[in-house]
Order: sequence, then structure tokens, then C-alpha cells
Amino acid sequence: RRFPDFSYITQNGRLTDFLDCVIISHFHLDHCGALPYFSEMVGYDGPIYMTHPTKAICPILLEDYRKITVDKKGETNFFTSQMIKDCMKKVVAVHLHQTVQVDEELEIKAYYAGHVLGAAMFQIKVGCESVVYTGDYNMTPDRHLGAAWLDKCRPDLLITESTYATTIRDSKRCRERDFLKKVHETVERGGKVLIPVFALGRAQELCILLETFWERMNLKAPIYFSTGLTEKANHYYKLFITWTNQKIRKTFVQRNMFEFKHIKAFDRAFADNPGPMVVFATPGMLHAGQSLQIFRKWAGNEKNMVIMPGYCVQGTVGHKILSGQRKLEMEGRQILEVKMQVEYMSFSAHADAKGIMQLIRQAEPRNVLLVHGEAKKMEFLKQKIEQEFHVSCFMPANGETTTILTNPCIPVDISLGLLKRETAIGAAPDAKRPRLMHGTLLMKDNSFRLVSPEQALKELGLAEHQLRFTCRVHIQDPRKEHETVLRVYNHLKGVLKDYSVQHLPDGSITVESILIQATAHSEDQGTKVLLVSWTYQDEELGSYLTSLLKKGLPQGTP
Amino acid sequence: YSDLHTFELQAPTRLIEWARGNRVCVAGYGQCDGNEILQLIPPPTLLTKETQGLCPERDFKVECGGFSERPVYSLKYVPDTSLLVTSGPPDSSLQVWQVSAEDSDVIKSVSTIATENVTGQSWAKIATISARAPWVLHGSRLDRVQITEVESRKNVYTAAIQGNEELGSLAFLDCNLLLLCCATGRLCLVDTRQPQSLVEAVPAPSAPCSEHWCMGTRHAAQGSEPSSQPVARLSSRGLLALTDLRKTSEFLALAKARVPSPGSGAEFLCVSWAPALEGYLAISGFDGTVHVYDTQSWDSSGKEAEPIFVHKGHIFGGAGGSRDPPLVTVHTWHLQKPRTLLSAASDGSLHVWDWVQPCGKC
Repeated sequence: RRFPDFSYITQNGRLTDFLDCVIISHFHLDHCGALPYFSEMVGYDGPIYMTHPTKAICPILLEDYRKITVDKKGETNFFTSQMIKDCMKKVVAVHLHQTVQVDEELEIKAYYAGHVLGAAMFQIKVGCESVVYTGDYNMTPDRHLGAAWLDKCRPDLLITESTYATTIRDSKRCRERDFLKKVHETVERGGKVLIPVFALGRAQELCILLETFWERMNLKAPIYFSTGLTEKANHYYKLFITWTNQKIRKTFVQRNMFEFKHIKAFDRAFADNPGPMVVFATPGMLHAGQSLQIFRKWAGNEKNMVIMPGYCVQGTVGHKILSGQRKLEMEGRQILEVKMQVEYMSFSAHADAKGIMQLIRQAEPRNVLLVHGEAKKMEFLKQKIEQEFHVSCFMPANGETTTILTNPCIPVDISLGLLKRETAIGAAPDAKRPRLMHGTLLMKDNSFRLVSPEQALKELGLAEHQLRFTCRVHIQDPRKEHETVLRVYNHLKGVLKDYSVQHLPDGSITVESILIQATAHSEDQGTKVLLVSWTYQDEELGSYLTSLLKKGLPQGTP
Repeated sequence: YSDLHTFELQAPTRLIEWARGNRVCVAGYGQCDGNEILQLIPPPTLLTKETQGLCPERDFKVECGGFSERPVYSLKYVPDTSLLVTSGPPDSSLQVWQVSAEDSDVIKSVSTIATENVTGQSWAKIATISARAPWVLHGSRLDRVQITEVESRKNVYTAAIQGNEELGSLAFLDCNLLLLCCATGRLCLVDTRQPQSLVEAVPAPSAPCSEHWCMGTRHAAQGSEPSSQPVARLSSRGLLALTDLRKTSEFLALAKARVPSPGSGAEFLCVSWAPALEGYLAISGFDGTVHVYDTQSWDSSGKEAEPIFVHKGHIFGGAGGSRDPPLVTVHTWHLQKPRTLLSAASDGSLHVWDWVQPCGKC
């Protein structure tokens, strides 16, 4: 199966109707390689979002990919050059941290991901629910790109790749040191080093590395950069200068970062020059063009070396020699014997376990979903994430549906009158502490409002009912009722100093709005019955009073 | 250097243990909770005998991991089983874990071997063997040494030794002979078949008593006497005493390593014999370096010895700045590659290095 099975998305209906948009995180083939197939052969006419550098570079890589697959390997049923062009017409380019409104509900935002030029992580938001998809990213900056960064966007779900999660990486310094050692050794013994590169990305990184090394070690062997490469690289880097890291941006202003002292433009004829040299040439997989030409010239000499920069598509010379093949069939049935040293260097930038934890710490998602790993080998990382961040972690298999519960926030309007009234009660409002308020929630016509109960009753045309409680408290007191009342009054006055306790002319006592009356018990003259009555609003005070009175009157009360 | 690889662990470790299949185990000791035990697969470059340069796979892979509620100070695999035992503060109990790399990558906590809690005890030192059954030898003090069967957690043997000296390390010479090294430097040979337990005690070389000692033993080849291998003892002052267990009345050799003055603490003192090079040993724990010595030229004079090689990588590795220089917490030798060592430091770094033999030697 060459391309993903897009029927996983939907079995019924057209993709254009089903999908709101397509997002491409960066120009690596494992992320965009099926895009023309998807849009032109399966059929999708909606928007395709990607960053500006990705939009500029994708078509180049896709055309390269097409050329190798169709021309070199003779595949049919593949997308054509025209299809690539048509596909790119559907692309909408976005800037970093720019909120893009896809439709009235859906918005997306791109974040810097490091990894390669133009790589982005995307936040996808509907209302107050959001998902962040990382694509490929790395958390350690290198010489020409910065590290990925997310703000504390607190998405409901963070989908992160976890290929390198179980890896503890060799330090970059060691890898670079080894690379420089190999190059140095080859050059010292008079050999030539070929480094096939893609126009952008690692090439710049390695150029900066070699330039610094050459300067420090005072080396004289020439380093060449094939011309097509320099132009393109400069062109793109100038366009996308904001995508590189701080250091490059600063130096680029002073001088052209890609004008090196020790690195010169290459001319075809130089390949035949005697003596040591280092050449950067495109394309990166040795499948055509200048790098292949140079390779053919130098392959027969064991003093020479070719350093492959990364992944090579099957069918390319690069892939073959990395697999160990040393006798290659070229055009016209010519056999090329490869005696030169073949080395491989992986400077690819992906996040390891530490990096993933860092990203989760930055974004504070409520749930994490790991993709791109073996289920039984991810249990440890899953536990680690769950323990450290107290969030749920999922690792679904292809085709599996994971359901994640979110706690959406529902915004509610509060009436100004209610707000004023409630904040007037009690202490002054404190920005740091939550404040409990009472009101009525009205859900009418798709809106939520908090209003005072009176207002709610009015709007709904309901009558207000008053609830009144009356409680009987028995008190042992042989004296006359009005004397008992006096005793109760004095007692309450003494205890409830902060409340308004009144003795009314009609013989009843009020505590705030609570009414207390005394009557004699029908059967027992020695017992007096206190009737304590209060409205629902005074429930708290009413209950308190009742329990207070139930304790009885202290002896000495007059 | 012939080769040097530097890695950074998420948390520093004070142990590096080899497991079946060339796996390496490290564990965190820093926090009170949430320390990780990691079983790592070294990169292919370190598994093969020849050194390759730009191999695609240059990284350690975490094969499985576990979470420990207490700091892990010591870890030993139980041979012939899928179990491992750990120990650490606050007491001298042991934790038993199951490594099941087949269906899951989690190292599960299986059981705890409890010990009598006596005040003033520190963490237990451990050693394992699978002779008649999987056993673990453990104890934090001289008078608390016992052997427990790992799976059943039954006590198999308790050494009857007097003395409350703290133990530096212990080892099985074979299933009947135990070697205990006290923190004071006294070496005790114990025979489990004897009622008196203690067969011999070898004192430390006379020195001010504020020194702290640890020991390193070397596995004898199949068939030879376990006590034929010299035992090395290292003090916090840098004194190295080599003893032949068959002739304990005198020192086989005595030398002094050129290390910074005492006071750096004896927490991470480590001495180990090279498995593939006769007479070579390495020491660490004084600063950010690891020293390699050839003891074959040593005598009993106790004079200063010149190291064959000093690994300084940990000093230069750090993020730099105002932080304290890292302290090497542990080192170990590669089991097959003769001049390759692994070392870890308090800043989380893990180095794998291979030194070049100076001219004139093999």
C-alpha cells in the first residue's frame, strides 16, 4: 500500500463535504507525500492549510518524489505534475500565531515546532474546546532552528508523536564530533567527501558546522556548495528569515549568513581536480542530478567518502548503498563498483521523552494522546505522563476511536443589578478568591442569564410564594406569659448582641424579621409554648434561634 | 580517547547494573517519590566489539521502566529470574520487582522484603546469587546481615556477627562464602556453614578513623577458586588496599590515588576491577573524574600511583554557569569490550568511553 487508506475518514459521502479543512504540519514526505493523491485522485476541494515555507517547499519535494517513483521505478497510478500544481492551488498559507477562521465555528493557529524550516504545531479550536496536534517537533534548538514552543493554551487534548519517546539520545556534540572526525580523516588522507543534501535544512546546519571547524583547525582543503543549492537556499532563507533562530537572524542582518569564508560555489569541472575536498550537492538521495554525477566519479576510490544525510526513498542509489549494496547497475547496464566509504549520519530532530514532558508542561493539556509508537512499549511513558501531570493518556491503534470527555465552559450573562447587589453583601471582592453568589439561571431563547429571583419571576410571569416556618419550643416556666416573654427577651438581647431584638407592645418579640410569641400550654400551666416563626429567607437565623431557645432559659434571667 | 559518547538521563543515577542481553539498568535517587528505574538497551555501536563511527543507531533505548516510591540507592538483578531487587532510604527493607519485557514495558513492583527496623539504620547493601535458589544477601549493619530467598521472602540465613559498624558493600564469593566490607574498612569473610559465621577479619590499613571505605570484587573465571581474585578497598582519602583472601596477614598492594582532599563525602565512592584486563581497576566518587589504574606494578609501600587514564568528560559536559561541578556517582566496566567504561554523574550525564592504551602496552 503506497498511500494511506482514506476510507478510514468516512465510508459514505465525499471528503469535501465531510472535512472542514486539511492541515499539513511540514514538508517531510511522511507528512505531505500523499497530499496530491488525496486531493486530486481521491478527491478533496476544501482548504489545505500550511505555513508559508511549507507551501513553498512542498511542491519541490513532491515533484522530486514523483520523478523518482514514476520515471525511475516506472510506477503507474501515481499523481502527475499537473496534479501537484492543482493541489497547491487549494493551499492557504498561514503565519505563526495567526488565528485563522476556517468557518464560523472552527479556528486554527500555528505554533513554531523547530524540526525543519516551516514546521508547525497546530491548535484547533471550536468554541472553548481545543486540540493541539504537534506533527514532528523538537525541544532542543540547533544551529539554524529554534526549539518548539507552545503557550499555556490548556487544550482539552494534546496529540503528540512519540517515536523517540523511549530514546535517550547521544549528545549532539558527540555526533557532530564524529562527523567532523570522519570528514577530517578523509581529507587528511587526500580523499574527497561527498555530502548529498536537500536544498534546505541540514545543509545549512552542516555548513555552519564545517565552516567553524575549518576556521578553528586552519584547514586548507576546499569546501564546495553546488550553485543551485546556494541560490535556492539563500532565496528561501531570506524569505523565511523569521523562521530561523535568534542567532542567525541577528547575523543575517550584518552579513549574509550563507556567504562563508571557506565554502565556495561549485563548478562541475572541480570534481575532477586532484586532492582533497568536501562537496555539498543536491539531490539528497543520490537519485539524479549533480550529486549522482559526482558520486559516479568518486565511487571507485576507497580514499573517498560519501555521507548520507538521512532517509532515502526506496529505489534511489542512496537507499541502495545504505542497505549495503556495493555493485550498482547504472544506465546502459553499466556496473558501478562502490569502493568509497559509505557513512550515514542522523541529525534528525525529534523530541525525546524529556522533550515530550517539557511540551506537556508548557501547554498544560487535560488529556494526552500518543501516536506513532508500539502499544506495549508505551505503557511506561503513559504511566509517567499520568503520574506527573495527573491527566489521562491514551494510545489508540490505527482505526481505533478514542472518546475524550471535556468540561466545556458555558458563558452566562449576569444582570448588572444582581451583580451589584451580591457584591455589596459581605467583604469586598478579591480578584484571587472565588465568590459565591445567589441568583436564578434563566435559559431562554438560546441564551443563559443570571438574574435576581424577583426579576426571573417577573420575566416568567410567575407569582412569588412565601414560605413561612413556625416552630414550637416548650419552656418550663410557671410564671405568666408576659413574664416569660420578658425573660426570653432579656436572654436574647444578651446573647444576640449583633442583631436587632425588639419587644413589641403586643407582647411578641422580633429578632430581625423573625417573630416569637408565647402562649401557655393547653394542658400544663407550668409549660410555656414559644412560637418561633420565620420566612424561608431567614432559615439560618431561624434554625439558630430555635436551637438556642431549646436549650432553655438560664436560671438567673430576670 | 578512542571513543566517547555522552548521554543525558532525565534524572541522575547512582547505579549502573548490567543485565541479561547486554542491557543496562539505571535508577533515580533524587526525589522522595516518583523515581524511575530504567532498563536500557545500549546502541548497537556499544554492543559490537568493533567501534563504528557514524552508525544510524547511536542512542540508548528505554526498554522498560518502573516507578519507585523511594530513592533507589542500590539495584541488583537476580540471576536466572526476571526479578530485580532494590534498596534505599529511609530503612533497610528491600523492594522486589518483576521485569516482563514481553507483554509490557513496565517494571512492576512485586513484593517487599521487610527487615527489623532498628533506629539509626541506613539503607541496605545488597548482592544476589542464584545457587540453590534465588537469594539476596542484604544488610545495612554488620550485625544485621542475612540471606533471604527472593521469591518466598523466607529468611535462609542470618549471620551471627557482633558489631554495629555500618556496611560499605557486600558480595557473594560463592553460595557459602560471603565477603562484607565495613565502612570502617574492616573486611569480613563469612562462611555460612560455620556456626561462628565470621571466619576472618582483615583490618583496614591504619589511618585516621574518619575515613569511609568501600570494596570491589572481581568474578573468578569458571572453575577457579572464588577467593583467588584480589579484593580492592578504597577509602575516602584515596587509599587503595589490595588483599589476597588466601593470605590476609599482609596487603597484596597498597597505593594512594591522587584525588582531591577528603571532605567530598563518601556517598559515591566506587572501585571496580576490569573484567577483561588483568590487574586493572577504576575508581570514582571524589570529583567529576574516573581514574583507571594498572595495579600490576604496585607494591605495599602505599606511595602515590599514577593513573593510566583519567576521564574528565563529566566536568566539561554540563550546562555550565554557576552550578556546582558534577560529581561522578558510579562507574562500571563493559563486560566484553576491554577498555570501555560507563560512568554517571550527579548532573544526569551518562558517558560511555573507551581509552587508548598508551604506547608500549598491549
